[in-house]
Amino acid sequence: MDTFALTIAAILMAGAPLVLATLGETLTEKAGIINLSLDGSILLSAMAAFACSATFDSPWLGMLAGACVGAAIAGVLGVIGIFLGQSQLAVGFILTLLSRDLAYFLGHNFSRQPGPNLGLWTIPGLGKAPFVGLIFGSQSPVVYLSLAAIAFCWWWMYRTEAGMRLRAVGESPRAAFGRGIRVRMVRLYYCLAGGALVGLAGAAYSLAVKPGWGRPQGCEGAGWIALAIVIFGGWHPVRAALGAFFFAALQVSGIYLQEIFPSIPAPVFQVAPFPMMILTLLAVNMGRMGWVQDIVRRHPLFKALSRGWSIDAPAALGQDFDPKKGL
Amino acid sequence: MIVLNDIHKHYGRVRANDGISLTLEPGRIYALVGENGAGKSTLMRVLAGHTRPTSGELVMDGESLSHLTPALARKKGVGMLYQDPLDFPAMPVWENFQLGAPKRTKKEVIDIIGELSYRLDACFLPDEPVSSLTVGERQLLELLRLLDLGATTLILDEPTTGITPEQKQDLFDLLMKLAREEGHTIVLVTHKLSEAFEMADSIFIMRQGRLVSTLTPPYDERELVQLMFGEAADGEVEPLPELRSKSGTPRLSMRDVLFAGPKYSMGGLNFTARPGECIGLAGLDGSGQELFLRGLCGLDRMPGGAFDLDGTRFAANDFSTLRKAGVQFVPADRLGLALFPDLNLMEHITLAFPDRDGDLADFYRSQCVEKFNLQAHPETHAVSLSGGNQQRLLLSLIPDETRLLLMEHPTRGLDAGSARQVWNHLNRRCADGATLIFFSPDLEEVLEHSHRVIVFYDRTLAAVVEGDDISMEVVGALMAGKKYDELKEGAA
Amino acid sequence: MNRDSLLTQIGWLALTLLLALALTVIVAWPAGAPPLETIYVLFKGGVSSWSKIGRVLAGWVPLTLCSVGLLIPFTARLWNIGVEGQVIMGAIFCTAALRPFEDGGGTGVIILALAASVAGGAFWALLAGLLRVFGRVHEIFSGLGLNFVALGVTLWLIFGPWRRPGVASMSGTKPLDISLWLPRLGTMSVSWVGLILACAAVLLVYILLHRTKWGLKMRAVGENPKAATLFSLGPRRRLLQAFMLCGGLAGLAGATQVLSVYHRLLPNISSGYGYTALLVSMMASFRLSLVPFICLFFAVLNVGSIQLPLQLGLDSSLSGVIQGIMVLSLFIVQGLRLWLKQRKEAD
Repeated sequence: MDTFALTIAAILMAGAPLVLATLGETLTEKAGIINLSLDGSILLSAMAAFACSATFDSPWLGMLAGACVGAAIAGVLGVIGIFLGQSQLAVGFILTLLSRDLAYFLGHNFSRQPGPNLGLWTIPGLGKAPFVGLIFGSQSPVVYLSLAAIAFCWWWMYRTEAGMRLRAVGESPRAAFGRGIRVRMVRLYYCLAGGALVGLAGAAYSLAVKPGWGRPQGCEGAGWIALAIVIFGGWHPVRAALGAFFFAALQVSGIYLQEIFPSIPAPVFQVAPFPMMILTLLAVNMGRMGWVQDIVRRHPLFKALSRGWSIDAPAALGQDFDPKKGL
Repeated sequence: MIVLNDIHKHYGRVRANDGISLTLEPGRIYALVGENGAGKSTLMRVLAGHTRPTSGELVMDGESLSHLTPALARKKGVGMLYQDPLDFPAMPVWENFQLGAPKRTKKEVIDIIGELSYRLDACFLPDEPVSSLTVGERQLLELLRLLDLGATTLILDEPTTGITPEQKQDLFDLLMKLAREEGHTIVLVTHKLSEAFEMADSIFIMRQGRLVSTLTPPYDERELVQLMFGEAADGEVEPLPELRSKSGTPRLSMRDVLFAGPKYSMGGLNFTARPGECIGLAGLDGSGQELFLRGLCGLDRMPGGAFDLDGTRFAANDFSTLRKAGVQFVPADRLGLALFPDLNLMEHITLAFPDRDGDLADFYRSQCVEKFNLQAHPETHAVSLSGGNQQRLLLSLIPDETRLLLMEHPTRGLDAGSARQVWNHLNRRCADGATLIFFSPDLEEVLEHSHRVIVFYDRTLAAVVEGDDISMEVVGALMAGKKYDELKEGAA
Repeated sequence: MNRDSLLTQIGWLALTLLLALALTVIVAWPAGAPPLETIYVLFKGGVSSWSKIGRVLAGWVPLTLCSVGLLIPFTARLWNIGVEGQVIMGAIFCTAALRPFEDGGGTGVIILALAASVAGGAFWALLAGLLRVFGRVHEIFSGLGLNFVALGVTLWLIFGPWRRPGVASMSGTKPLDISLWLPRLGTMSVSWVGLILACAAVLLVYILLHRTKWGLKMRAVGENPKAATLFSLGPRRRLLQAFMLCGGLAGLAGATQVLSVYHRLLPNISSGYGYTALLVSMMASFRLSLVPFICLFFAVLNVGSIQLPLQLGLDSSLSGVIQGIMVLSLFIVQGLRLWLKQRKEAD
């Protein structure tokens, strides 16, 4: 029982940055923009956060720095993609490579250096409680941050007028424009907001989950997984967060499995998230395949299951919108 | 009162609106008629603030403005209802209603929708996604929304496409009431003269970007047609070709066919067609016509049943096999689905006739220019062609040996002259023995050009109608869900 | 874009380079890099001696192979992000083909190894293609996932079944017998076989894309896959062909890395050439004629950056930074041109 609680604690911790990144990208894609720079952005924010934290001896300042860097990168993508009419995918991809190289280049002097991290928050009295005490008695603040982010994003998207406008822009920018919404500005705002969350994710890595900076840092590849989880999560914050925790669970169980099966070489466990990513994307698309639909039609039991299974992307995801062309 | 003064809207060298001036008075219903491409929609988009004019002014409540924005138009009480409702399909009814309106709680919005629906005898479930509504219902919702926002000038762009005759009548009654009782200004943009006659206090006639005339009742149909089409009005469509005798192998024989598309499936399809027959498909959007055509050509799957083509059995509908067997499919969305926008005409010819080697310039000349009057340089990119030329290109790419021609909306977006040419060509193909199956959201077009009409309702084949039953009353009722036997009993 | 005069185009190109220079200086400033000296070291490090030029050419070969290969899927509007993994797979298959020949072999063995590398790269690309065409998994994800998997396979092989007895290290598998090394061009570290392969690839891609019906059909598939179905062009089959051809060329790049540069399989055998090739293609706006020259420029940067840690105490990833900034600047300038053009039209 204790092991189970400790596992949950580990999953919450390992998943916190992934949740933040996934939530950020969910916001961005809900507005219709794809931010491929996630992976590099996480690295650059992680480096900036650590550098700032070490230089000013304040990990919370480092978190802020991370968020700013993430927002800045997303801002570059936003301006070039939204206002200058260039391909979001191309620019995002360039930025991911550029940010990664920039992170290694500028972080050269901080490599393997010691620096402050966020530490743990102890809730007095809770530590003695069974089960819950083991999970939350002494937990990293990024876990609380990620949980708060999930609640906030859900509330914002589905319970506020602003959130309604966000969904409208991603669904049909033309109709949104017709309703008087400033489509391009809304897209830019959510690009920046999503980028800030991604930046926090990077900071969470270098200041809590995998403290420090180096080459490699340890969070390489996380951004791509987050992009896949957004799809897997159906562009819904709660579902996406569950997806992120699912992947975190895989990573944590990988560590255990490695101890149990030492003969299986380490690289297998390290790359395991990526085939999983492909498989989950396949599973998501399966509902649309012809032969699957035939089976579903013939067996009514599957029909009930399939209704919750299929998800639709924001209709205008990745598409350009030019208000000057009118409606 | 609204005055449009010398409105120009140019797209490069194309003058969509060329110096238009007109006045709209409250409490009156106006019709804006003209054929496809005359510039009616552009002018109305200027009025609704969805497009900026190149020059000219709008005078509203005495205030002179150079252009409107959607927000400003709303303040001035102008609302536009598009042919394809500009809404958010994945979002629920109440959110669609609320977006763009001043801040209100969900409960308030639901109450307002309820009240407006009650007054107009409609029923909307506030949490259902708008994608589950029919086109007519989406239109009505949009209309309610505009009224709620305080629209006093309502512009409706081709509102009767894709709705049943019953829904159309309800809509027209509502518009009359809004104009006469509440003093709203209604502008009806249409290319259907019958509707203009029925409803309008004045008719504005546009042709090639200009306002050629304003008519008041009593209306003379011939004068209207003359003004709308100019000299081109004198062209005549050739009549439907005569059908040959009933004997011989049927061209198409469907037995218990089940088609499955991405959104729905349709089964129990039994139908036979003869060579040279023109068969029209009627029904509301999404009732099954698209799936019928796409299934027959092999683009959508056929998990059950089989059909014969000139006696050869096809238990599986593989697209390439069917194409080689003489089945051709022509979609309505030309640039989106049927042509390559940045490839030129010669390249299209090369791709469409891969078995011809060598220099295709002569072939291009004989096939496109002489046969179809496609006056364009072979190096022109498909995207630069006009709608009429695109359709001519598409038709010229169909091999002569085609036996079963499946067309979605053959005259979409075409002006009257081009539409006539297309039908003449199609009639000639039928006279030569090809079988044509087509659908069109314009019910009149379906009725005019079919030997038989298949009516679809709610994703089933409702009835096959021929002879005298091919009429607006019968087909319209079938489209709305009446059963054929009940209709026949009622008539007897 | 093509209607502007040559002078205007050169003007915009100059603006791109200036912007790139400015941005590079800005981002390099926090690292304390003296701008002029850094640029000097970079270029000197690339061209100052024949041996350095040899290394530049040795880097040019795989980069060109990957970049021209990428033009094929790009014609079909596909993003073959998986090039990196295809290079690795080519290297793995090449090494596998050579393992029975520990004591050496002749030209026949080398040809076998090259063929194996093409097959390996094509196979890996086919996986990404199948996932895309039949599984509707966007090639960005399938390609990336497979890149990491290929890396994992390499690590497993190097530390597992292909481990050097007694030594399990990052320096890779057992070095190849010298008879299996590709012959060199004089004393330079590049092989003339590699150079010929790269030039042949450029020619092959040119002919395929611009001089055959196959190329026209590929362009049509990229333009409008739905219309391509209606024309019976078999778009799915052609998309797979595009992936496989690109993968084959990438595999060949992996083979040149094994046979002429490192002479064994390393964890970092692909040296990021796959990702760099993507940058090259974007920089060239997918124009074949520009690709070999941009590859040369990027190769100079790569070799030159090796000097940075030694001479200036800077990280060698500066070359990657500069490459990324250059492509980004191109997109910014393109965007500005578009924006200005639209403003002119509106007036």
